[in-house]
This record gives sequence, C-alpha cells and structure tokens, in this order.
Amino acid sequence: MTAPLPLPRLRLIRPTTVEAAVAARVECPQHEVLAGGTDLLVNLRRGLLAPPALIDITGIAELDEVRTTADRTRIGALVRLDRLAEDPAIASRHAALREAAVAVAAPGHRRLATVGGNLCLQTRCIYVNQSAWWRAAHGACLKSGGEVCHVAPEGARCHAAFSGDVAPALIALDAEIEIAGPAGRRRVACADLYHEEGRAHLRLDSGEIVTAIEVPTSIAHSGYLKERIRRSFDFPLAGVAIACRTEGAELSALRIAVTGTNSRPLLIEGTDALLGRRIDESVLAAAEKLVARQVRPMRTTLFPANHRRSVAAALARRLLGALGAPDAAAGRGHAGGTA
Amino acid sequence: MPTLAGTRDGVPLIDGIDKVTGRARYTADLDHRGAFVGRMLRSPCSHGQITRLDVERARQLPGVVAVLTGEDFRVPYGVLPIAMNEYPLARGKVRYRGEPVAAVAAIDAETAERALSLIELDVRELPAYYEAAEARAADAVRIHDDKPGNLEREVHHTFGDVAAGFAAADLVREELIDCAEINHAQIEPHAALAEFDPFTNRLTMQSVSQVTFYLHLMLARCLEMDESRIRVIKPFVGGGFGARVEVLNFELVTAMLARAAGGKVAMELSREETFITHRARPQTRIRLKLGLGRDGRLRACECEVVQRGGAYAGYGVITILYAGSLLHGLYDLPAVKYDGYRVYTNTPPCGAMRGHGSVDTRHAFEVLLDRMARELGLDPFEVRRRNLLHAPTRTLNELAIMSYGLAECLDRVESASGWKARRGRLPHGKGLGMACSHYVSGAAKPIHWTGEPHAVVNVKVDWDGSVTAFTGAADIGQGSSTMVAIAVAETLGLPIEQVRVIAADSATTPKDNGAYSSRITFMVGNAAIDAARRLRGMLTEAAARRLDCDPADVECAGGRFHVTGATDRGITFEEAVKAALVDQGTLTVKGTFTCPPEAQGGKHRGGAVGSTMGFSYAAQVVEVSVDEDTGQVTVDRVWVALDCGFAINPLAVRGQIEGAVWMGMGQALMEETRYLNGMPAHASFLEYRMPTSLDSPPIDAQIVESIDPNGPFGAKEASEGALASFAPALVAAIADAVGVDLDELPATPDRILDALVARRRRQRLDAVAGGGR
Repeated sequence: MTAPLPLPRLRLIRPTTVEAAVAARVECPQHEVLAGGTDLLVNLRRGLLAPPALIDITGIAELDEVRTTADRTRIGALVRLDRLAEDPAIASRHAALREAAVAVAAPGHRRLATVGGNLCLQTRCIYVNQSAWWRAAHGACLKSGGEVCHVAPEGARCHAAFSGDVAPALIALDAEIEIAGPAGRRRVACADLYHEEGRAHLRLDSGEIVTAIEVPTSIAHSGYLKERIRRSFDFPLAGVAIACRTEGAELSALRIAVTGTNSRPLLIEGTDALLGRRIDESVLAAAEKLVARQVRPMRTTLFPANHRRSVAAALARRLLGALGAPDAAAGRGHAGGTA
Repeated sequence: MPTLAGTRDGVPLIDGIDKVTGRARYTADLDHRGAFVGRMLRSPCSHGQITRLDVERARQLPGVVAVLTGEDFRVPYGVLPIAMNEYPLARGKVRYRGEPVAAVAAIDAETAERALSLIELDVRELPAYYEAAEARAADAVRIHDDKPGNLEREVHHTFGDVAAGFAAADLVREELIDCAEINHAQIEPHAALAEFDPFTNRLTMQSVSQVTFYLHLMLARCLEMDESRIRVIKPFVGGGFGARVEVLNFELVTAMLARAAGGKVAMELSREETFITHRARPQTRIRLKLGLGRDGRLRACECEVVQRGGAYAGYGVITILYAGSLLHGLYDLPAVKYDGYRVYTNTPPCGAMRGHGSVDTRHAFEVLLDRMARELGLDPFEVRRRNLLHAPTRTLNELAIMSYGLAECLDRVESASGWKARRGRLPHGKGLGMACSHYVSGAAKPIHWTGEPHAVVNVKVDWDGSVTAFTGAADIGQGSSTMVAIAVAETLGLPIEQVRVIAADSATTPKDNGAYSSRITFMVGNAAIDAARRLRGMLTEAAARRLDCDPADVECAGGRFHVTGATDRGITFEEAVKAALVDQGTLTVKGTFTCPPEAQGGKHRGGAVGSTMGFSYAAQVVEVSVDEDTGQVTVDRVWVALDCGFAINPLAVRGQIEGAVWMGMGQALMEETRYLNGMPAHASFLEYRMPTSLDSPPIDAQIVESIDPNGPFGAKEASEGALASFAPALVAAIADAVGVDLDELPATPDRILDALVARRRRQRLDAVAGGGR
C-alpha cells in the first residue's frame, strides 16, 4: 500500500569522488545534495523542493574522515552527528561541537544526519514547513513561490530562521569551511557561509558543495546551550555557542554565536570590548545585552519572538558564566547541551 | 474479595506479544490486494458557500473508478441522535479549513492525487470565526442556520442555595482560567478498508474505530443500507483516547467509495489529515467562583464554561454537560451554579477526549481551591480532607456514589511524596503541588436508548474443552480483551491461557456500544462474569450428575469440579464439559449487564450526563523545578494514587495510571493546537509537541481498592481518573517553586517567563506604592 503522501519519483546520482559530485551540480544546479536526508527527505515529501535528481554523496569516502593534528581538527562533511557526539577527541578539544551535535533532533536522526547537512540545513518557518495542501490553501509566501512574507508582509525579504545546532558551535570555535566547486577548493570562515536571507541563506556558488570543516584548537573553553520545548526531537527556540580563552583570570578571546533567531547563525559583534576583563557579573550582563540587542527573531515559529530573544540572551549569560567557573577551567565543562 | 489467584501482580496483555513482535495487523496492514486507493479533497477555505464543484475532469481521468461529492450523501450523521448536522462530504457550505468536499478512488495513490488536482472548487467566502468570542458576537454570521449566536448548546444548572452559600463563606474568590485546545495524538493515523460485494450487496468495513456498533449504525444510515448487510470488524487499533468514539467522515466516505467502485477501497489519512479530523478537547475558558469557610469547607461554587467547539456538533452537547455535571462527585459541595456555552467556530470539530469534559473545569477548580487554601493558611491536603464525601451517597445533581477511596488516595501520596517533611522546605525554584480528580466508569444511560442491556458477552464451550468469550468491546490498547479473559477464567477457575477472546466483529460477537467513558471494565466485565457464572452453573450440574451428588455440593476451582470437602472426588474441567455436552452439543451462554434506573442520573435536562455506576478517584503530587531565566519547567517526580475499586489486572492498571499522568503532563506542559487563520499549524508531531522519554519523570503509581459493591470483582475504571489532577498539581507546584500563579495551560516557557516578568513588575509597583506611604 502506498503511503498517503508518496515521495515523488527521483533520479539518484551516486558519485564516488568530490569532482564527480561537483560536475553533477554544475550540470544541473537544481539537483539537491543528499547525505543523511533527515531534512531533505521531509522537505521533498512536503513538496518544498522538486529537484530533477538527488546527488547522493554518501559514497565519497574522503568526506567521512576525522583527522586531528596538534592545532586543528579536520572533519569531513559526511561525518555523522552521533560520531561527533561520541568521539573523545572532539569532546576534549571542542566541547561546544560535541554538545551541539548531541542536541540535534533525536538519536535516530543523529545516526543518519551529517555535519555538512546540518550546516546546510534549510531555514524554517511555520508558514513554509507544512504540507503542499497547507501552503496552497493558506497562500504561498516568498520562500514557497509567492509574493509576500507572511511573517513580515511589509518587507521584501524572507525571514525563515536558521535552526541548525552545529553551525553556531563552529562559528564560535572559529572554524573554517572547505568548499569544493568547479574552480577547485576554497575556504571560508564558518560565519561567512551564510546570508541573512531565508530563501537563500547559503553563500555557495553554483556547483559548490561543502566538503569539510577545519576547527582550530586555539580556543580552550567552549560550550553550547539549546532551549526547546521538549528535551529531544525539537528545533531550538534559541541556541547559543560560546568559545573563550582566558589568560590568568582575564578573557583573551570571546566568540558568541546564536541560532534559531535569524535567517543565519549569528556571530555576535562587540565581544572584543569584553577582552581583558574577568568573567564577572558585569561581563555576563554585557554579554547578555549584546545578544539581546543583536538577535532578530521574527514570528517564524509558534513561540513568540520576544521569548526567543530573552532566552537567547539568558543562555548566553548562563553559558559564559559556566565557562568562567573554576570547574570549567579544569576541563570538566558544564552540564548543558544534553539531547 | 476475589483472589484472582496467580494474577495478583497482573498479567501481560494477551495481545501484547503480537504487538511487540509486529505480528499485530492494524488497519493499514490489512490485505490490500485488489484495493483501490481512496483520497479526499479538502476545503482550502474556512467558511463559505460552495458555488461550483466540478468533478467531471477527475471522473474522466483513466484509472479513476469513483468520484463522490456531498451530493452523494443525502443523510446527515453525528454521534448524538439530537445533533446530527454533519455530512461526510460538505454539502452546500464549508465550515472549516480541511473539511472534506470530494473524494476519489483510483488504481493507485498517484492517480488519486492527480484526480483530486483536477477537481474544480469555487467557494464564496463568508466571515470566519476562530475564537468563541468572535463567533458569539452580535453581528456574527451563522455557521449553522438553525443556531443563532452560533451557540450549539447552553446549559444552566443550579443546585442548592448558591447565594446563601457565598454569604456564609469567609473567603470568596474568582478566577479566569484558559485551557488550550489539544488533540489525542494517537500513534496510529486514521485508516479504513471497505469492501462492497455488488452481487450480494454486502459491505465489510474494517476501521480504526473505538465504536464499531455506532459505525455499523452510521454506515447503514448514510449509505441508506439495510443494517443486516453490513459487517464491521475492528482490527488492532493503535490508540484512541476518544479520537474514534464517534464515526468519522473518512469511514463513511471509504465505504461509499467502495460501493460506488463496486469493490475494495483503502483510505489512509496522513498525520496532518488525522489532526484535522480532530474531535478532541476544546479550547476552554472557565470563570470560576468558590466560597470557602475558614474551616476549609466548601460553601458554594459558581462556574461558567465556554468551549470553542469547532464547526460541527459531534459530542459537543455531552462535553458541555460533563463540564458542569462533574463539578460534582469529587467533594461535598452544598451549592453549585453552572452555566455552560458550547460555541460553533470555523475550526475542526472538537469531540471526546480522555477525561471527556471534566479535565479543564477540574483544573480550574483545583487551582482555585489551592490558592484559596493558601490564603486561609490551610494545607492543600487538609482542605481536601475537610470536603470529603462518604459513600454511599448521592450528589446534588443525583449522581450515585457507591464507593469512595479518595481519603486513602490522599494518605498514600501525601506519605509517599514526603509532603509533610518537604513541602515548603525545598530550595527556591523547586516546588511541590497536589490535586485530586475523578471519572465515571461508563455512562449509566446509553446514547441510543433501545432497552437492551448495557453489555452482552457470549461464552462458548465445546468438545475440545476450549472456552471462547465473544465480546463486541473494542480493545484499542487499553487491555479490555485481557480483562474479559481474566474475568471468565477467574469465574471458571481456569488459567487465563485457557480462555480465548474474540472481539469486535459484528458477524460473530454480540453488539457492544464501544470503548468510551471507561465503560468496558465495569459493564462488559460484569457481563463476562455473568456469562461465565451461567456456564459454571451448567458445568456444575453436569459434574454433579457424573459425581452423583447434589449440584450445591460441587465446587469449581483449579480446573476441576469436586465435591465440597472431598477434593479427590472430582472431575476435570474437560470431563465436566464432555458431560455437559451430552444431549446438548456445543454450549453458548450469554451474560448481560444493565445499569439500574437509579444510577442513571437526575431528571433535569441533561441529567444523565455524568451518571455512572462508579467513580474512580485519584490524588497526585507533582514535584517540579522551574528555570527562572528560560521559563522551562521540569517535572522531577510524580506520586499518584488511584481508587479503581479493585485491580483486576494490576499490571494493566499501573500502565493506565502512568498513561493518564503522562497525557495530563502533555496537556499541562506543552500540548496545544494552533491555528493561523484557521489553518492547523500544529498538524505534525514536530509542531504538536508531546513529552519525550527525556521529559518523562519517574511516576510512583499506587492502587487503592475501595471494592465497589456493583463493580466486577469490585472494580471501577482505571484509565481516565488520574489525568485531570496532573495539570492543577503542576500549576500548584510552579506556584510553590517560584511564586507565580499561572492562569493558562499549557505551562510553556514563554507563558512562565511572561508570568515571572509580570510578577516582577507588580512587585516593583508595590514597592513604589509602599515607599510613597
């Protein structure tokens, strides 16, 4: 018996090299890249995408490797989130990355979902992530082929929110993303992979795919906190990643990134002003204020935008406080970020 | 008190292994060979006149075998004979987004989908109302022509001298409590399989129903068929909770498609469609006023309830009656005024859901009682103890209370939770709260009055010694077939393995009204015992003939019939059966159960609703942690005690108690349907959030046995009573933890944070006002 909403018939292209995958994307930019499929297949079933073919990259062995050197960790785009969550090297070097990986969806998803897929996660909106019947009955929006954004009808852009957990951790950790394209490979800072535009939030050129992530080990302390309605299987109302370094008791590096509030994972600006200071009440209050002022949640979820803003700010304060606490410096990390 | 030897820890459900091994076949797993695929076109519009519905192009599409519209259904349907105002496919008007307007059957799903896309529907839009207040506005357009003010039903009941009660009270308080609409969210999506034989004009229907008899009745009515040509079979059903206690549009449409196609049609609804079919707990606003003496005694209660009922009647009249009638029956209330308003709106129709009608008013009552006790300096347990009933008694609204174990429930959870030592001594951010609840063991007056017994069970015994119980009762996961097996086995002195149960097939089993209002254990259980006793009598007589003694001297136990006081003078059960079959052949005996008229409620209009043979009672304590930065509430532990009369199967009772607590927790913490201009924005398990295993606390479930005088072995219901006390206990625990009184459900983090912010603002204003003095 056919399920009520059958998956459309699709051609599957199965390259075994990065170059072949890029060639397939160049040949038809509408082809979608399939890795774990935990986001893509749901969107296909809901008719959000209608690619002529899927480029299944899971056969490219090179993309499924984790390599560590003294100063960096290289993670292939196909590395599964459960592996990131369980790898002791990741946990000891990049706590925020482990905590973000384990915060994604539910165990079944994490066994399939990849780090590259989570970085390239489609933006989400309550007016978009519905069935084809729903969108047609309600009326399409900018992201689903219509003329207006139902969240902010007076504006010209799409406000669908980026909701991946891994990206803010990598941004806080100052990771670089390796991208392969027709012109070869290039690297960008993770924050520069994204635009503040819900329809086209990824800054990938035609034919490009994400191949790897390189995370420096230079930032000692990091963490990720995620707020959601239920403790598993839920996108973030807001998620905050922080990476920091202290010299003596004073901050010598501080990066804060937020997810769930904007169309991109947002790197918070102005944290340099806090360098040289101890992580005390005034620094925590300043970090909270920086986040509250910069995030731009809109009514893209069933939960109020102002709540998501308050929670993002509160998480930033809590996480920075935990990272600044003596036990965090001893390498035990904080208790947050469980699935 | 019965011993139920060998089952005192309880027995696993007799169909449990089938389920966990995947052998169990649910409706969508049935033999679909040769079946056409049925699909429905749904209204994109909330409210409007259908000006054109052209199905011609769909009909012409190769592979399409049947196309239906509302014009193919001449007769309306509905679960209540007094309120049948719905058609399986909309006729003339659409009243909510997602209402089915046309249906097709085709050779496969793709063709069916394509056919739907070829149907042309034009609707002249009318104003749409998504909130009860909008629909009740003076200038609102009528959703149903015969219902002015868009009121489906008003209820006004007053019992006792309410004014005198409030005058005598030392403390009178009033609160406005809002409870969100929720959904059953049963795991199995809706599905049906219908087969029509054009040669014999017979219809065989298999569906996810909790009420196969009502389905049988409505199929005959809407297809205008002779009842005797219909057979209804209930396969395994993956949960109901009330979602399937009335006949649903897709069931009637699937059957009609099968007849139109002259064959077999399978319909499977998506999760979204299952949500849209709805029939669950309505959004409810409760204005409640209580009067309390300094001694903690309740003096008077005034309660106004407004339910946003959705677009069609369904069970609405019963829901709004339950909301008032079950104010009674838990505590000793000397005066009660109830005003209920069931409102039509342009949202999917609401219906019955676990704790039908009682949950939201019970929530408001317990919340307000808790706050008033606090104001009077009374312990929450103490204020409940001062208002206990004493069975047997009758309430003001003529509900019979035959057994009452609430006092023991209170003692059990107070002690288990360490309430006396811990309440008020937890660190800030942690809190304890408690509340009580109750529910009926089946409605004493059936919806369709026929004069028949409330339940019939047949038990057959044959040459091979096998015992088979035939019941129409629908096991939907609650374990009713296991209960029947235990009741028969216990009465016949047999191990449970020797009893087979055949359930819910109209061709073989006696009619049963179905799985709702927790009626099966009480009614079907008693009928099963009655049948088994009659059989035991026949076997005893046969044994006496063989043993050459008086039947009064024969005992039946342990699989044997023997002479009293001489266990060696006896015969086996199988030998007794062989003896009984001589000259008779296969024996089939019938047992029945009928609720006496005095249990069927008061004579006032609507007085039958809430009447029952026995109420279950529950008390529970909830412990929470509240994160004041994020508004997140964590349920740390739950202690619950349920008086179910007698636990026929303690294992199943514990499962039901835990399920009720968990479902109450979902409503209290996060479950909520949400409509955007009438579009269901919640219609997936991603957006309709239920607690996951990580959100689920340890539940200490205790069974209290008050031994009801009329219950089977003393049993009452066990699956609904513990639900309604969760939410008020949670709200009380939140108040204890962080000092905010929440007036809305669910207690989502945004609502908690808003309440905390509002309290801080109030405190600042109070400080300013105080400083100015």
